[in-house]
Amino acid sequence: MRWQPAHLDATVVAEFRAGLVTGRRGARIGAHLERCERCAALGGMLADVSALLAAVPAPAIPDVVARRLDSVLAAEAARSNDPERAGAAAGRKRRAGSGPAGRRGFRGIAVRVLAPAAAAAAVLGGAGYGISLLAGGQHGMTAASSAARAAASPRFASGSRREAALAGPGSLPVPAQRGSLPAFPVIASATDYRPATATAQLRAALSARVPAGRAASAALRACVSRVTGGVLPYRVETARYRGQPATVIFTRAGAGYRAWVVGPACSSVVYRTTLP
Amino acid sequence: MQGPDGQRPSDAELLRRHVAGDAEAFGELFRRHRDRLWAVALRTACDPEEAADALQDAMISAFRRAADFRGESAVTTWLHRIVVNAALDRLRHQASRPATAGEQAFEALAAQGADPARATDARLDVDAALRILPPQQRAALVLVDMLGFPVAEAAAILGTAPGTVKSRCARARARLIPYLAHLRGNRPASESVSPSQGGDTYT
Repeated sequence: MRWQPAHLDATVVAEFRAGLVTGRRGARIGAHLERCERCAALGGMLADVSALLAAVPAPAIPDVVARRLDSVLAAEAARSNDPERAGAAAGRKRRAGSGPAGRRGFRGIAVRVLAPAAAAAAVLGGAGYGISLLAGGQHGMTAASSAARAAASPRFASGSRREAALAGPGSLPVPAQRGSLPAFPVIASATDYRPATATAQLRAALSARVPAGRAASAALRACVSRVTGGVLPYRVETARYRGQPATVIFTRAGAGYRAWVVGPACSSVVYRTTLP
Repeated sequence: MQGPDGQRPSDAELLRRHVAGDAEAFGELFRRHRDRLWAVALRTACDPEEAADALQDAMISAFRRAADFRGESAVTTWLHRIVVNAALDRLRHQASRPATAGEQAFEALAAQGADPARATDARLDVDAALRILPPQQRAALVLVDMLGFPVAEAAAILGTAPGTVKSRCARARARLIPYLAHLRGNRPASESVSPSQGGDTYT
Protein backbone atom coordinates (compact mmCIF):
# COMPACT_ATOMS: atom_id res chain seq x y z
CA MET A 1 0.00 0.00 0.00
CA ARG A 2 1.31 3.40 -0.98
CA TRP A 3 1.96 5.72 1.93
CA GLN A 4 -0.32 8.79 2.00
CA PRO A 5 0.62 11.84 3.98
CA ALA A 6 -1.96 12.91 6.52
CA HIS A 7 -3.71 16.19 5.83
CA LEU A 8 -5.22 18.69 8.17
CA ASP A 9 -8.90 19.18 8.62
CA ALA A 10 -10.16 22.67 7.68
CA THR A 11 -11.47 23.21 11.20
CA VAL A 12 -8.06 22.43 12.66
CA VAL A 13 -6.40 24.88 10.32
CA ALA A 14 -9.03 27.49 11.17
CA GLU A 15 -8.52 27.02 14.89
CA PHE A 16 -4.75 27.13 14.47
CA ARG A 17 -5.03 30.38 12.53
CA ALA A 18 -7.26 31.78 15.26
CA GLY A 19 -4.56 31.06 17.84
CA LEU A 20 -6.61 28.40 19.55
CA VAL A 21 -4.13 25.56 19.10
CA THR A 22 -0.87 26.02 20.96
CA GLY A 23 1.84 23.95 22.64
CA ARG A 24 3.21 20.80 21.08
CA ARG A 25 0.10 20.22 19.02
CA GLY A 26 0.28 23.74 17.66
CA ALA A 27 3.95 23.30 16.78
CA ARG A 28 3.18 20.06 15.00
CA ILE A 29 0.40 21.68 12.96
CA GLY A 30 2.57 24.68 12.14
CA ALA A 31 5.35 22.41 10.90
CA HIS A 32 2.91 20.49 8.76
CA LEU A 33 1.54 23.64 7.18
CA GLU A 34 5.07 24.71 6.24
CA ARG A 35 5.75 21.58 4.27
CA CYS A 36 2.27 20.70 2.91
CA GLU A 37 1.10 22.92 0.09
CA ARG A 38 -2.34 21.41 0.09
CA CYS A 39 -3.01 22.12 3.75
CA ALA A 40 -1.44 25.54 3.48
CA ALA A 41 -3.97 26.26 0.72
CA LEU A 42 -6.70 25.74 3.29
CA GLY A 43 -5.34 28.73 5.15
CA GLY A 44 -5.79 30.79 2.00
CA MET A 45 -9.34 29.53 1.63
CA LEU A 46 -10.16 30.47 5.19
CA ALA A 47 -8.76 33.94 4.64
CA ASP A 48 -10.83 34.20 1.48
CA VAL A 49 -14.00 33.28 3.37
CA SER A 50 -13.38 36.09 5.83
CA ALA A 51 -12.60 38.49 3.00
CA LEU A 52 -15.74 37.53 1.11
CA LEU A 53 -17.90 38.04 4.17
CA ALA A 54 -16.31 41.40 4.90
CA ALA A 55 -16.90 42.54 1.32
CA VAL A 56 -20.65 41.99 1.44
CA PRO A 57 -22.18 45.38 2.16
CA ALA A 58 -24.34 45.61 5.25
CA PRO A 59 -27.98 45.94 4.22
CA ALA A 60 -29.72 49.19 5.10
CA ILE A 61 -32.89 48.81 7.08
CA PRO A 62 -35.89 48.71 4.70
CA ASP A 63 -38.12 51.76 4.89
CA VAL A 64 -41.10 49.68 5.86
CA VAL A 65 -39.25 48.19 8.83
CA ALA A 66 -37.87 51.57 9.87
CA ARG A 67 -41.35 53.08 9.78
CA ARG A 68 -42.76 50.19 11.73
CA LEU A 69 -40.11 50.59 14.41
CA ASP A 70 -40.65 54.35 14.54
CA SER A 71 -44.32 53.69 15.05
CA VAL A 72 -43.71 51.08 17.73
CA LEU A 73 -41.31 53.32 19.62
CA ALA A 74 -43.68 56.27 19.35
CA ALA A 75 -46.41 54.07 20.80
CA GLU A 76 -44.06 53.04 23.59
CA ALA A 77 -43.31 56.67 24.32
CA ALA A 78 -47.02 57.47 24.40
CA ARG A 79 -47.64 54.48 26.64
CA SER A 80 -44.92 55.59 29.00
CA ASN A 81 -46.47 59.04 29.12
CA ASP A 82 -49.83 57.62 30.07
CA PRO A 83 -50.03 58.19 33.81
CA GLU A 84 -52.51 55.37 34.40
CA ARG A 85 -50.51 52.73 32.59
CA ALA A 86 -47.18 53.99 33.84
CA GLY A 87 -48.49 54.07 37.38
CA ALA A 88 -49.80 50.55 37.10
CA ALA A 89 -46.51 49.40 35.67
CA ALA A 90 -44.60 51.11 38.43
CA GLY A 91 -46.81 49.34 40.93
CA ARG A 92 -46.08 46.02 39.31
CA LYS A 93 -42.40 46.76 39.40
CA ARG A 94 -42.54 47.58 43.07
CA ARG A 95 -44.25 44.29 43.72
CA ALA A 96 -42.30 42.10 41.38
CA GLY A 97 -38.95 43.77 41.00
CA SER A 98 -37.26 44.00 37.65
CA GLY A 99 -37.85 40.81 35.74
CA PRO A 100 -36.53 39.48 32.51
CA ALA A 101 -37.50 41.26 29.37
CA GLY A 102 -39.55 39.61 26.73
CA ARG A 103 -43.07 38.96 25.76
CA ARG A 104 -43.69 37.12 28.97
CA GLY A 105 -43.41 40.17 31.11
CA PHE A 106 -41.89 43.52 30.43
CA ARG A 107 -41.52 45.57 33.54
CA GLY A 108 -39.94 48.74 34.69
CA ILE A 109 -41.78 51.36 32.74
CA ALA A 110 -40.63 54.75 33.91
CA VAL A 111 -43.14 57.45 34.67
CA ARG A 112 -42.53 60.13 32.13
CA VAL A 113 -42.67 63.84 32.65
CA LEU A 114 -45.82 65.11 31.03
CA ALA A 115 -45.79 67.96 28.57
CA PRO A 116 -46.99 71.20 30.11
CA ALA A 117 -50.69 71.51 29.55
CA ALA A 118 -50.48 75.06 28.31
CA ALA A 119 -47.96 74.11 25.66
CA ALA A 120 -50.13 71.25 24.59
CA ALA A 121 -53.13 73.52 24.27
CA ALA A 122 -51.21 75.99 22.16
CA VAL A 123 -49.82 73.27 19.97
CA LEU A 124 -53.15 71.66 19.38
CA GLY A 125 -54.88 74.93 18.67
CA GLY A 126 -52.18 75.89 16.21
CA ALA A 127 -52.13 72.53 14.56
CA GLY A 128 -55.60 72.97 13.23
CA TYR A 129 -57.59 70.64 15.36
CA GLY A 130 -60.41 73.06 15.18
CA ILE A 131 -62.99 70.66 14.06
CA SER A 132 -65.96 71.71 12.08
CA LEU A 133 -68.85 69.46 11.50
CA LEU A 134 -69.15 67.36 8.44
CA ALA A 135 -72.71 66.24 8.67
CA GLY A 136 -75.87 67.92 9.91
CA GLY A 137 -76.02 71.34 11.48
CA GLN A 138 -74.49 70.60 14.88
CA HIS A 139 -71.07 71.69 15.86
CA GLY A 140 -68.62 69.06 16.88
CA MET A 141 -65.48 69.63 18.87
CA THR A 142 -64.17 73.13 18.30
CA ALA A 143 -60.61 74.33 18.39
CA ALA A 144 -61.18 75.91 21.74
CA SER A 145 -62.80 72.85 23.22
CA SER A 146 -60.17 70.52 21.85
CA ALA A 147 -57.45 72.72 23.25
CA ALA A 148 -59.19 72.87 26.57
CA ARG A 149 -59.57 69.15 26.51
CA ALA A 150 -55.91 68.80 25.73
CA ALA A 151 -55.05 71.04 28.62
CA ALA A 152 -57.19 68.97 30.92
CA SER A 153 -56.02 65.63 29.64
CA PRO A 154 -52.39 64.67 30.02
CA ARG A 155 -52.97 61.64 27.83
CA PHE A 156 -54.16 63.82 24.99
CA ALA A 157 -51.15 66.05 25.46
CA SER A 158 -48.60 63.32 24.99
CA GLY A 159 -46.75 63.40 21.72
CA SER A 160 -48.26 66.71 20.77
CA ARG A 161 -45.00 68.12 19.46
CA ARG A 162 -44.81 65.37 16.92
CA GLU A 163 -48.38 65.98 15.85
CA ALA A 164 -47.72 69.66 15.51
CA ALA A 165 -44.70 69.00 13.35
CA LEU A 166 -46.52 66.72 11.00
CA ALA A 167 -50.05 68.03 10.91
CA GLY A 168 -50.41 71.29 9.07
CA PRO A 169 -52.61 74.13 10.21
CA GLY A 170 -55.83 75.00 8.50
CA SER A 171 -59.49 74.43 8.67
CA LEU A 172 -61.42 71.65 7.09
CA PRO A 173 -61.70 71.77 3.34
CA VAL A 174 -64.98 73.01 2.08
CA PRO A 175 -66.48 70.20 0.07
CA ALA A 176 -66.11 71.12 -3.57
CA GLN A 177 -68.56 68.54 -4.60
CA ARG A 178 -71.38 67.03 -2.66
CA GLY A 179 -72.21 64.19 -4.97
CA SER A 180 -71.57 60.62 -3.95
CA LEU A 181 -68.33 59.01 -5.12
CA PRO A 182 -68.05 55.88 -7.22
CA ALA A 183 -67.79 52.61 -5.36
CA PHE A 184 -64.62 51.93 -3.41
CA PRO A 185 -63.72 49.26 -0.89
CA VAL A 186 -63.54 49.78 2.85
CA ILE A 187 -61.00 47.86 4.87
CA ALA A 188 -61.66 46.79 8.44
CA SER A 189 -58.62 47.71 10.50
CA ALA A 190 -57.92 46.72 14.10
CA THR A 191 -55.79 49.80 14.67
CA ASP A 192 -56.67 52.11 17.54
CA TYR A 193 -55.18 55.43 16.46
CA ARG A 194 -53.89 57.60 19.26
CA PRO A 195 -53.18 61.32 19.12
CA ALA A 196 -49.50 60.91 19.94
CA THR A 197 -48.86 58.20 17.42
CA ALA A 198 -51.48 58.73 14.74
CA THR A 199 -49.07 59.95 12.07
CA ALA A 200 -46.76 57.00 12.54
CA GLN A 201 -49.72 54.64 12.66
CA LEU A 202 -51.10 56.13 9.45
CA ARG A 203 -47.73 55.62 7.78
CA ALA A 204 -47.65 52.05 9.01
CA ALA A 205 -51.17 51.48 7.69
CA LEU A 206 -50.12 52.65 4.24
CA SER A 207 -47.20 50.28 4.15
CA ALA A 208 -49.12 47.26 5.42
CA ARG A 209 -50.61 44.69 3.16
CA VAL A 210 -54.09 45.64 2.03
CA PRO A 211 -56.66 43.03 3.02
CA ALA A 212 -59.84 42.54 1.06
CA GLY A 213 -62.49 45.12 1.82
CA ARG A 214 -66.20 45.41 1.49
CA ALA A 215 -68.01 47.93 -0.67
CA ALA A 216 -68.58 51.29 0.95
CA SER A 217 -72.16 52.19 1.73
CA ALA A 218 -73.79 55.21 0.12
CA ALA A 219 -73.64 57.05 3.44
CA LEU A 220 -69.93 56.38 3.78
CA ARG A 221 -69.28 57.42 0.19
CA ALA A 222 -71.04 60.67 0.90
CA CYS A 223 -69.01 61.17 4.04
CA VAL A 224 -65.74 60.51 2.25
CA SER A 225 -66.75 62.88 -0.50
CA ARG A 226 -67.37 65.62 2.04
CA VAL A 227 -64.01 65.09 3.67
CA THR A 228 -61.93 64.81 0.52
CA GLY A 229 -63.78 67.46 -1.39
CA GLY A 230 -64.99 64.95 -3.91
CA VAL A 231 -61.63 63.30 -4.48
CA LEU A 232 -61.77 59.53 -4.84
CA PRO A 233 -59.93 58.07 -1.87
CA TYR A 234 -56.79 56.02 -2.19
CA ARG A 235 -57.83 53.91 0.75
CA VAL A 236 -60.53 53.92 3.41
CA GLU A 237 -60.46 52.02 6.68
CA THR A 238 -62.85 51.52 9.52
CA ALA A 239 -60.76 51.66 12.67
CA ARG A 240 -60.77 53.28 16.10
CA TYR A 241 -59.45 56.58 17.36
CA ARG A 242 -58.83 56.86 21.09
CA GLY A 243 -60.99 53.78 21.49
CA GLN A 244 -63.95 55.17 19.58
CA PRO A 245 -65.12 53.99 16.15
CA ALA A 246 -63.56 56.05 13.39
CA THR A 247 -63.09 56.13 9.64
CA VAL A 248 -59.65 56.69 8.20
CA ILE A 249 -59.42 58.19 4.73
CA PHE A 250 -56.34 58.51 2.57
CA THR A 251 -56.03 60.41 -0.70
CA ARG A 252 -53.04 60.84 -2.93
CA ALA A 253 -51.33 64.21 -2.61
CA GLY A 254 -48.46 64.60 -5.04
CA ALA A 255 -45.89 61.99 -4.15
CA GLY A 256 -47.46 61.50 -0.72
CA TYR A 257 -50.83 61.20 0.90
CA ARG A 258 -53.37 63.16 2.87
CA ALA A 259 -55.05 61.37 5.71
CA TRP A 260 -58.11 62.16 7.77
CA VAL A 261 -59.50 60.39 10.79
CA VAL A 262 -63.21 60.96 11.07
CA GLY A 263 -65.22 60.37 14.22
CA PRO A 264 -68.29 58.16 14.63
CA ALA A 265 -71.03 58.58 12.04
CA CYS A 266 -68.98 61.12 10.12
CA SER A 267 -69.44 63.55 12.99
CA SER A 268 -66.13 65.35 12.81
CA VAL A 269 -62.56 65.16 11.60
CA VAL A 270 -60.61 64.31 14.71
CA TYR A 271 -57.19 64.11 13.12
CA ARG A 272 -55.63 64.93 9.82
CA THR A 273 -52.18 65.17 8.40
CA THR A 274 -50.12 65.07 5.24
CA LEU A 275 -47.73 62.20 4.77
CA PRO A 276 -44.84 63.07 2.45
CA MET B 1 -31.16 66.65 18.63
CA GLN B 2 -28.28 68.51 20.19
CA GLY B 3 -26.72 68.64 23.60
CA PRO B 4 -26.47 71.72 25.77
CA ASP B 5 -23.19 72.70 24.13
CA GLY B 6 -24.59 72.32 20.62
CA GLN B 7 -22.81 69.04 20.07
CA ARG B 8 -24.54 65.85 19.09
CA PRO B 9 -25.35 64.03 22.33
CA SER B 10 -23.56 60.78 22.98
CA ASP B 11 -25.41 57.48 22.97
CA ALA B 12 -25.10 57.34 26.75
CA GLU B 13 -26.55 60.83 27.03
CA LEU B 14 -29.50 59.89 24.83
CA LEU B 15 -30.16 56.86 26.97
CA ARG B 16 -29.92 58.94 30.13
CA ARG B 17 -32.42 61.42 28.68
CA HIS B 18 -34.75 58.59 27.76
CA VAL B 19 -34.66 57.25 31.30
CA ALA B 20 -35.29 60.78 32.56
CA GLY B 21 -38.44 61.02 30.47
CA ASP B 22 -37.39 62.54 27.14
CA ALA B 23 -39.93 61.02 24.77
CA GLU B 24 -37.76 61.46 21.71
CA ALA B 25 -34.35 60.37 22.97
CA PHE B 26 -34.74 56.65 22.43
CA GLY B 27 -36.09 57.14 18.91
CA GLU B 28 -33.04 59.23 18.13
CA LEU B 29 -30.77 56.53 19.54
CA PHE B 30 -32.50 53.91 17.42
CA ARG B 31 -32.30 55.99 14.24
CA ARG B 32 -28.61 56.50 14.85
CA HIS B 33 -27.87 52.78 14.88
CA ARG B 34 -30.78 51.17 13.10
CA ASP B 35 -28.94 50.12 9.93
CA ARG B 36 -26.28 48.25 11.84
CA LEU B 37 -28.82 46.73 14.22
CA TRP B 38 -30.88 45.64 11.25
CA ALA B 39 -27.84 44.04 9.63
CA VAL B 40 -27.14 42.04 12.77
CA ALA B 41 -30.77 40.94 13.07
CA LEU B 42 -31.06 40.01 9.40
CA ARG B 43 -27.77 38.12 9.19
CA THR B 44 -28.45 36.25 12.40
CA ALA B 45 -32.08 35.42 11.72
CA CYS B 46 -31.55 34.80 7.97
CA ASP B 47 -35.11 35.88 7.28
CA PRO B 48 -36.34 39.46 6.81
CA GLU B 49 -39.64 38.95 8.60
CA GLU B 50 -38.03 37.18 11.53
CA ALA B 51 -35.38 39.89 11.60
CA ALA B 52 -37.99 42.63 11.67
CA ASP B 53 -39.83 40.92 14.50
CA ALA B 54 -36.60 40.32 16.38
CA LEU B 55 -35.56 43.94 15.98
CA GLN B 56 -38.96 45.09 17.20
CA ASP B 57 -38.84 42.75 20.20
CA ALA B 58 -35.35 43.98 20.96
CA MET B 59 -36.12 47.68 20.71
CA ILE B 60 -39.20 47.38 22.89
CA SER B 61 -37.12 45.47 25.40
CA ALA B 62 -34.34 48.05 25.30
CA PHE B 63 -36.83 50.90 25.57
CA ARG B 64 -38.31 49.41 28.71
CA ARG B 65 -35.11 48.16 30.28
CA ALA B 66 -33.05 51.26 29.69
CA ALA B 67 -32.95 52.04 33.39
CA ASP B 68 -31.16 48.72 33.92
CA PHE B 69 -28.24 49.79 31.71
CA ARG B 70 -25.30 50.30 34.05
CA GLY B 71 -22.75 51.63 31.60
CA GLU B 72 -20.50 48.60 31.93
CA SER B 73 -20.30 48.43 28.15
CA ALA B 74 -20.92 50.83 25.31
CA VAL B 75 -24.56 51.56 24.59
CA THR B 76 -24.13 50.08 21.13
CA THR B 77 -22.76 46.86 22.61
CA TRP B 78 -25.79 46.68 24.88
CA LEU B 79 -28.19 47.33 21.98
CA HIS B 80 -26.50 44.76 19.76
CA ARG B 81 -26.60 42.22 22.54
CA ILE B 82 -30.34 42.64 22.93
CA VAL B 83 -30.85 42.35 19.16
CA VAL B 84 -28.71 39.23 18.81
CA ASN B 85 -30.45 37.59 21.76
CA ALA B 86 -33.86 38.43 20.29
CA ALA B 87 -32.86 36.93 16.95
CA LEU B 88 -31.45 33.80 18.57
CA ASP B 89 -34.56 33.49 20.75
CA ARG B 90 -36.74 33.56 17.67
CA LEU B 91 -34.61 30.90 16.01
CA ARG B 92 -34.84 28.72 19.09
CA HIS B 93 -38.61 28.97 19.07
CA GLN B 94 -38.97 28.12 15.42
CA ALA B 95 -40.24 24.61 15.87
CA SER B 96 -41.25 24.57 12.23
CA ARG B 97 -37.68 25.00 11.05
CA PRO B 98 -35.80 21.72 11.51
CA ALA B 99 -32.04 21.55 11.57
CA THR B 100 -31.85 20.36 8.01
CA ALA B 101 -33.82 23.31 6.67
CA GLY B 102 -30.62 25.30 6.37
CA GLU B 103 -29.19 22.83 3.90
CA GLN B 104 -32.45 22.77 1.96
CA ALA B 105 -32.59 26.55 1.87
CA PHE B 106 -29.06 26.63 0.57
CA GLU B 107 -29.83 24.17 -2.15
CA ALA B 108 -32.93 26.11 -3.16
CA LEU B 109 -31.14 29.42 -3.21
CA ALA B 110 -28.11 28.02 -4.91
CA ALA B 111 -30.32 26.67 -7.65
CA GLN B 112 -31.85 30.11 -8.11
CA GLY B 113 -28.89 32.36 -8.10
CA ALA B 114 -25.66 30.92 -6.86
CA ASP B 115 -24.67 29.12 -10.01
CA PRO B 116 -21.07 30.19 -10.56
CA ALA B 117 -21.48 29.63 -14.28
CA ARG B 118 -23.89 32.55 -14.33
CA ALA B 119 -23.32 36.08 -13.20
CA THR B 120 -22.44 35.54 -9.59
CA ASP B 121 -24.32 37.37 -6.93
CA ALA B 122 -21.95 37.13 -4.02
CA ARG B 123 -24.43 38.58 -1.60
CA LEU B 124 -27.03 35.96 -2.42
CA ASP B 125 -24.46 33.20 -2.15
CA VAL B 126 -23.28 34.45 1.20
CA ASP B 127 -26.85 34.79 2.47
CA ALA B 128 -27.54 31.22 1.44
CA ALA B 129 -24.30 29.87 2.86
CA LEU B 130 -24.85 31.55 6.22
CA ARG B 131 -28.03 29.54 6.64
CA ILE B 132 -26.17 26.30 6.94
CA LEU B 133 -24.36 27.45 10.06
CA PRO B 134 -25.62 26.76 13.56
CA PRO B 135 -27.09 30.02 14.88
CA GLN B 136 -24.41 30.61 17.52
CA GLN B 137 -21.62 30.17 14.98
CA ARG B 138 -23.43 32.39 12.52
CA ALA B 139 -23.96 35.14 15.09
CA ALA B 140 -20.26 35.15 15.96
CA LEU B 141 -19.16 35.15 12.34
CA VAL B 142 -21.58 37.91 11.39
CA LEU B 143 -20.28 40.15 14.16
CA VAL B 144 -16.58 39.52 13.59
CA ASP B 145 -16.15 38.90 9.86
CA MET B 146 -19.13 40.74 8.36
CA LEU B 147 -19.58 43.69 10.67
CA GLY B 148 -15.99 44.04 11.82
CA PHE B 149 -16.47 43.91 15.57
CA PRO B 150 -13.30 43.12 17.52
CA VAL B 151 -13.45 39.67 19.10
CA ALA B 152 -13.63 41.15 22.59
CA GLU B 153 -16.67 43.28 21.72
CA ALA B 154 -18.34 40.41 19.89
CA ALA B 155 -17.81 38.34 23.03
CA ALA B 156 -19.44 41.04 25.13
CA ILE B 157 -22.39 41.17 22.72
CA LEU B 158 -22.77 37.40 22.76
CA GLY B 159 -22.20 37.12 26.48
CA THR B 160 -19.44 34.60 26.12
CA ALA B 161 -15.66 34.33 26.33
CA PRO B 162 -13.43 35.69 23.55
CA GLY B 163 -12.00 32.21 23.06
CA THR B 164 -15.49 30.86 22.41
CA VAL B 165 -16.08 33.54 19.80
CA LYS B 166 -12.79 32.67 18.11
CA SER B 167 -13.68 29.00 18.11
CA ARG B 168 -17.15 29.58 16.72
CA CYS B 169 -15.77 31.81 13.99
CA ALA B 170 -13.04 29.31 13.10
CA ARG B 171 -15.51 26.45 12.81
CA ALA B 172 -17.93 28.57 10.82
CA ARG B 173 -15.25 29.67 8.35
CA ALA B 174 -14.14 26.08 7.85
CA ARG B 175 -17.70 25.02 7.28
CA LEU B 176 -18.31 27.73 4.68
CA ILE B 177 -15.30 26.90 2.49
CA PRO B 178 -17.10 24.51 0.14
CA TYR B 179 -20.07 26.83 -0.16
CA LEU B 180 -18.08 29.91 -1.05
CA ALA B 181 -15.11 28.43 -2.88
CA HIS B 182 -16.57 29.34 -6.26
CA LEU B 183 -16.43 33.02 -5.35
CA ARG B 184 -12.65 33.04 -4.85
CA GLY B 185 -11.41 35.42 -7.50
CA ASN B 186 -11.53 33.87 -10.96
CA ARG B 187 -10.60 30.49 -9.74
CA PRO B 188 -13.29 27.97 -10.65
CA ALA B 189 -14.66 25.93 -7.81
CA SER B 190 -13.59 22.69 -9.51
CA GLU B 191 -9.95 23.67 -9.19
CA SER B 192 -10.17 24.45 -5.54
CA VAL B 193 -8.95 22.01 -3.02
CA SER B 194 -11.87 20.65 -1.12
CA PRO B 195 -11.28 20.55 2.61
CA SER B 196 -13.01 17.22 2.78
CA GLN B 197 -11.00 15.63 -0.03
CA GLY B 198 -7.85 13.64 0.32
CA GLY B 199 -6.51 11.12 2.70
CA ASP B 200 -6.41 10.98 6.43
CA THR B 201 -7.00 14.03 8.46
CA TYR B 202 -4.45 15.18 10.90
CA THR B 203 -6.02 16.45 14.02
